[in-house]
Amino acid sequence: MSGVEWQLVGFSLRMALTSLLLILPVGLALAWWLARKNWPGKALVETLVSLPLVLPPVVTGLLLLQLFGRRGLVGSWLHSTLDCDVVFTWRAVVIALAAMSLPLFVRAVRTAFEEVDVKFEQLARTLGAGEWRVFFTITLPLAKRGVLAGTLLAFARALGEFGATIMVAGNIPGRTTTLPVAIYQAVENGEDAHAWTLAGVSAVIAFAAVFISEKLLRRKT
Amino acid sequence: MNGKILTANFRKQFPGGPEIVADDLRIGGGITVLFGASGSGKTTILRCLAGLEIPDEGEIKFGGESWFQKSGKRKAESGNIFAPPQKRRIGFVPQDYALFPHLSVVDNIGYGLKELPATERTLRVAETLHWLGLEDLEMRRPRELSGGQQQRVALARAVVRRPKLLLLDEPLAALDTPTRLRLRGELRQLLRQLGIPTILVTHDRFEALALGDEVVVLHAGRNVQQGAAPDVFSQPANLAVAEITAVETILSGHILATRDGLATVAVGATRLIALAKDLPPAARAVYVCIRAEDVILIRNDVAQSSPRNHLPATVRELGREGPLVRVTLDCGFSLIALLTQSACEELALQKGEQLFALVKTPQVHLISFAG
Amino acid sequence: MKRVFTSLFASAALLFAAQNEIRAATVTVFAAASLTDSLKQIAAGYEKNSGDKIVFNFAASGTLSRQIEAGAPADIFFSADETKADALEKKGLLVRGTRKSLLGNSLVIVTPTDAAAIHSPAEFTNAVVQHIALGEVKTVPCGTYAKAYLEKLSLWSAIENKVVPCESVRAVLAAVESGNVDVGFVYKTDAAISKKVQVAYEVPAADAPKISYPVALIKDAPQPDAAKKFIGYLDSDAATAVLFKQFGFIVLTSPTTE
Repeated sequence: MSGVEWQLVGFSLRMALTSLLLILPVGLALAWWLARKNWPGKALVETLVSLPLVLPPVVTGLLLLQLFGRRGLVGSWLHSTLDCDVVFTWRAVVIALAAMSLPLFVRAVRTAFEEVDVKFEQLARTLGAGEWRVFFTITLPLAKRGVLAGTLLAFARALGEFGATIMVAGNIPGRTTTLPVAIYQAVENGEDAHAWTLAGVSAVIAFAAVFISEKLLRRKT
Repeated sequence: MNGKILTANFRKQFPGGPEIVADDLRIGGGITVLFGASGSGKTTILRCLAGLEIPDEGEIKFGGESWFQKSGKRKAESGNIFAPPQKRRIGFVPQDYALFPHLSVVDNIGYGLKELPATERTLRVAETLHWLGLEDLEMRRPRELSGGQQQRVALARAVVRRPKLLLLDEPLAALDTPTRLRLRGELRQLLRQLGIPTILVTHDRFEALALGDEVVVLHAGRNVQQGAAPDVFSQPANLAVAEITAVETILSGHILATRDGLATVAVGATRLIALAKDLPPAARAVYVCIRAEDVILIRNDVAQSSPRNHLPATVRELGREGPLVRVTLDCGFSLIALLTQSACEELALQKGEQLFALVKTPQVHLISFAG
Repeated sequence: MKRVFTSLFASAALLFAAQNEIRAATVTVFAAASLTDSLKQIAAGYEKNSGDKIVFNFAASGTLSRQIEAGAPADIFFSADETKADALEKKGLLVRGTRKSLLGNSLVIVTPTDAAAIHSPAEFTNAVVQHIALGEVKTVPCGTYAKAYLEKLSLWSAIENKVVPCESVRAVLAAVESGNVDVGFVYKTDAAISKKVQVAYEVPAADAPKISYPVALIKDAPQPDAAKKFIGYLDSDAATAVLFKQFGFIVLTSPTTE
């Protein structure tokens, strides 16, 4: 593997890890709300969260482009107020990865939270614990395995994300080119050896992540 | 008994299920037992008092605080109060203890002491561990403990915060019978030592007698009678309560001697022989419980018969209850017997008749209490 | 029920038979993205007169040549630069004697209609220009031309980190239209069909690299005769010359290259 190839892998890993920074707080909160609360319109939220799983990734990418482009709802505000561009920058990569991986994370973690018996949370309340403390000291630790498995799945998905990324971040070598995009480009350019090397790395990481995730989900304490 | 510290008036309707009503429930200090059959609503009422369930309407007041208030009128949103469990300073022990599986015994017990500085927390926890005899189990996980140990850890966790009110849901139900009987006495002692107002739920009438200063009887989701334990059991307010309590004769007795597993109990001037098992070794004062259906009446005392208790008795009252007759006898104390109509006729029972009442030793139940 | 099935089956059989009766051929043309609108219009007219059907695959010329190398069933290759055709020819994938350079084009710099004006490529180094859209230099001829031009101006290394590669010249156009990039390099013909971009600067012919669009018959084409007929129609026919000129292309009259 050449220096460029290592750089590519490094960049992809960094982007995937950064997207986790977005996914974790949003995902944990969503998963908790879906697991513990009921409200009118809950079904709508469930559907919206699961949508990126079934929509063609390019469609999600298109929606993100609309939202975060310079003329979009969020993008225009960012551009005018913070002089910050999203589209065609690493920020778009992180957002695309987060959007595509969030549903996987939420599904796994929601199930994990649902499997935590509420009786422990209730008892913690009788001992004076406020809601945040109940979450961090009781719910989360007892759901540890599922959360870890969800994180790994989200990470693996983020590493393999292509359709939305290429729509909203483009393919700018060194700045927004992720592993899957680089593989696609290599094939386009007829650089087969390069493509296969990258594909190999991609496969190894994905395999490891899913393997460990499955183990975590299978084993019951 | 102190003045009443908790008043509750509320109702909760389960969709497609029963309606649970706390009807002018007033609870004082000491140990109050919520007693009733399974499904009578005791656990629901307990959980409402704990703040783990929210009634549909009503109010709950503890000390000077209002823990819950909700008017039945839909529009009156303002004025509704709900103090969550965190604010109520209670100790709660559910039937299955709900010990945090991912924490050690020490961490379980110390969980509620977060506001305290670390040194004080350690001290308190150590104190409580010692008091409940749990010292060697500090680092164990709940799954490594026996049923009795788990119960004590759950109790420790609940009381270490010095709560204002202790709520126990069937504290002995999760234990096997021998352990349950053994721990019954221990639990009473512990609760007495603590001195915290306690509300305890049970469906076992002997537990109710053994543990409760006051008993609240629940029937069909509603509290129907309340009073001192022996009074409630011996004077059921109505047939429904009588059916629940199902012990007709409850007397205060005094153990004279125990030998070979048998105890000689004095009730007034009369001597009864009962089984001494499950009694704490130094037990003296006991409740003597005899169920009416366990009393056999004979006209002439037979010298050789198996029951150890032969009591000369005079018939005081006869009352028909459907196909049965309730016979009130005077044996030096009041004894109730239940006979069939035909048996009564055969024996030609009348007021003032003198005959003998036989009760088998195992059917004289002794409940010790520390007074 | 049986009657419905029988009649359905009969209709299907008839349809199949009918297909074989149609003498008209379907010609598959792989053409550079910049030719999208012009070729479609030309083909519409051709289909009416000849009875043949023309099917298009528009993409970056590099992408197309890759697909042809991989064995895609195409009849005609209409590239936006000579090098892509050269590569195929070297591999013996083009039929000798059929290759002709038909069109030329101009390179232009475009900006979104609501953006600040750019007067020359030298302004690319300004801070206000954050993203420059270019065709991917290895696969999109327009991108190759643009890079060559910027290198000629010694600007390439200075602005290289602002470049956003796109997969075809139409993708560059779309990027500029969306406002997500500040400037882009497209052909004059592409700028002409879009209302959402404005031409900021037209690269003078003297400075621009030579832009030439060759067309050729692909070896083992499924419909070689019909394809040759269409190529003939594209080449130097008065009607097509007018049409291409209308779109802004430069019509070359160079002879067939070997």
